[in-house]
Amino acid sequence: MTSLAGLIDRLEDAVAHRTPLEKEHVQAVFFLFPLMFFIVGFILMPVLGTLYDAFMRDVIFLEKEFIFFTNFRYLFSDPGFWNAVRFTLLFVLISVPLELAIGLMIALVMNETIPMRGLLRACVLIPWAIPAAVSGRVFELIYNYSYGAANWLLRVLHITTEPVNWLGSEIGAFIAVVAADAWKTTPFAAIILLAGLSAISEDLYNQARIDRAGFMTRFFKITLPLLKPVLVVTLLFRTIQALRVFDVIYVLTGGGPGGATEAVSNFAYKYFTAGDFGYGSAASVLLFVIALLLSLFYVKASRFGEA
Amino acid sequence: MRGPDLHTIRRRVSGRLLILLCLPMLFACGRGDAETDLVFAVGGAPSELAAWEKVVRKFEADSGISVRLLRQPANSQQQLQGLMVAMKSKQQNPDVFLMDVAWVGLFSAAGWLVPLDNLDRTPFFGELLNRTDVYDGRLMAAPVYLDGGILYYRTDLLEKAGMTRPPETWRELAESAKKVQEQMRPENPGFFGFVWQGAQYEGLVVNFLEFAGASGGIQLQDETGGVRVALKANLKALRFMRDLIWEYEISPPSTYTEMQEEEVRTFFQSGNAMYERNWPYAWTLHQSDGSPVKGKVGIAPLPAPEGEKGVSTLGGYHIGVSKYSDRKADAKKFAAYVTSKEAQRMVVLELGWNPGRGDLYEDEALLERYPHFGEFKDIFRKARPRPVIPYYIQVSNVLQTYISGALARNRSPESALEHAQIEIDSLEQRYGRNPEGGGGQLSESFPYPSFTHGEAVP
Repeated sequence: MTSLAGLIDRLEDAVAHRTPLEKEHVQAVFFLFPLMFFIVGFILMPVLGTLYDAFMRDVIFLEKEFIFFTNFRYLFSDPGFWNAVRFTLLFVLISVPLELAIGLMIALVMNETIPMRGLLRACVLIPWAIPAAVSGRVFELIYNYSYGAANWLLRVLHITTEPVNWLGSEIGAFIAVVAADAWKTTPFAAIILLAGLSAISEDLYNQARIDRAGFMTRFFKITLPLLKPVLVVTLLFRTIQALRVFDVIYVLTGGGPGGATEAVSNFAYKYFTAGDFGYGSAASVLLFVIALLLSLFYVKASRFGEA
Repeated sequence: MRGPDLHTIRRRVSGRLLILLCLPMLFACGRGDAETDLVFAVGGAPSELAAWEKVVRKFEADSGISVRLLRQPANSQQQLQGLMVAMKSKQQNPDVFLMDVAWVGLFSAAGWLVPLDNLDRTPFFGELLNRTDVYDGRLMAAPVYLDGGILYYRTDLLEKAGMTRPPETWRELAESAKKVQEQMRPENPGFFGFVWQGAQYEGLVVNFLEFAGASGGIQLQDETGGVRVALKANLKALRFMRDLIWEYEISPPSTYTEMQEEEVRTFFQSGNAMYERNWPYAWTLHQSDGSPVKGKVGIAPLPAPEGEKGVSTLGGYHIGVSKYSDRKADAKKFAAYVTSKEAQRMVVLELGWNPGRGDLYEDEALLERYPHFGEFKDIFRKARPRPVIPYYIQVSNVLQTYISGALARNRSPESALEHAQIEIDSLEQRYGRNPEGGGGQLSESFPYPSFTHGEAVP
């Protein structure tokens, strides 16, 4: 204990006798420490662990062994993996632009001075505040064949007599997953875009109005170009998030029917729970590579536009 | 002008802070785990915990060893995950646990189980024990609950179909179900003839194995122990499963999207179906007060194609002792007590579930309380286990995907089984069952004769 007290004394001493700049540095280290600890302990270590595991035969019933790229070689010839990659990319391609488009519309409305704007903004955020597992379950209750809200509506409105098995076809399950995800994440896009919109000076619009620019012209000539950096950031965030989609699918379709809605994360999880950590890690690493490539592409493409 | 180099200061300070922050963690690590009780991980059903509480108190009084119950999640996949994390990190707790019969092979091969040499094998169903719990000649686990698929039927609707006994063949099942369904539809548009577990999960494979076994399939493993799916018998089974939904239309379209045990049970229990495939647990629930089908339910073995015998897949939970337990001797003593006649009878009387011991199915006191045990005995004794191989879960995942795809009509049953076989072959190669099979190279051609180009190996 004495050494601990001594340590604290010396620490205080060190902080007290420094020039302001040095003091700031010492303080900075102090304040940065929790973050660094968190990043190293909960992000860097697991990521490196996964990378390490991807090159190992880490199966609970076999000897652990370094096997170079064998996991990857099997992955490349695994139709289940390619099916998951295909679904995940398609999911990103459809859901992200959809969420951004609807999010932009919501942001434009929320940016206007309309009555009860505060309440409206709060309401829009509700889906984002709900855990994906919960919203997945909610949508499952909507699509449920026997007692779901969607089939109830069809029956009450006399549109069909036979209930529809919404999650029963590949395309139906795909649309259901995209809808559930869009419902949940559109508010996220809307809020970020709203922040971008409110940063655009009202003067520009007033000048444009003097020049008799219509709504459309104002939108395409002022709003969109000035919003572009924020749009790219939102697109980047959403793309990375959508690539690692897991919970909505786990709850809503379980990857079915016939693996039609199985994302790469679900694929990896399946192997983790079966005790094959190496193979699951290799799939996760490949997902990371895909996310990295897409992010680089976005960043490059957006800079290209500015030049 | 300058004091010590800024870098040194920074390094020194941050190093000390690190120590400071880590100190409490070290203390925390030092403690913990010094558990004096024997820890027993059981299932998550509330009634189950209460039943075990009684057994544990009795054991404590008799042996002086105190036991703490550890409740596992109700979902079996999450149970597996919990146990796997504990074993993989070599934790001393739980010392002893219940595991699904489908995991015994995995746990044995992983070396996580201590042989239960102190157990007497005679009171158990011998063949069942040999096929599921014996690994390398040693008893690694012992059944605590038994399960097997059975056919529930509505006695009142059977009369409507003009039948005097439950269906024994697939044809009888389909025809009577269709007949009754047509009669029931005007008053109950949501009525279906036959409900079973078809959602994409382990239960789908269980059901598939029953249909396949009844059509003369080999329950996946050939004589060398390799997993074989692309077989004529399996094709017949898969076609029948698909036809139940799409051709005879006696199973609801939601079969392959929603139907797990509880969905099937509630569907039948609300009076919306004539036949139901389920585990024995549904019996007491169907016959409970407030159940719309109370007193109108019968049970029978699962039907089969003409000239064949119905097959049930073996389910249930087995007890095992952890290799990482710090109290293996006590844990083995406890496992022996749990599978004793006294403890098993206590659990059965409390839960109404089916005991793992064979001799209890002839126990007068139990038969008086649960007369249906007499009928279960034969079903369980002949129930077929899922392949006891360490990579069974992976095989099951592949099968779930492709069978579900065939039921959804995304692909033909032929293509489903052939593609499943290709993936399973690749699994076997990867897990070293067949290392010289292709030298790590995946074979381009079908490893087994394709259905379309010749006869499959029977």
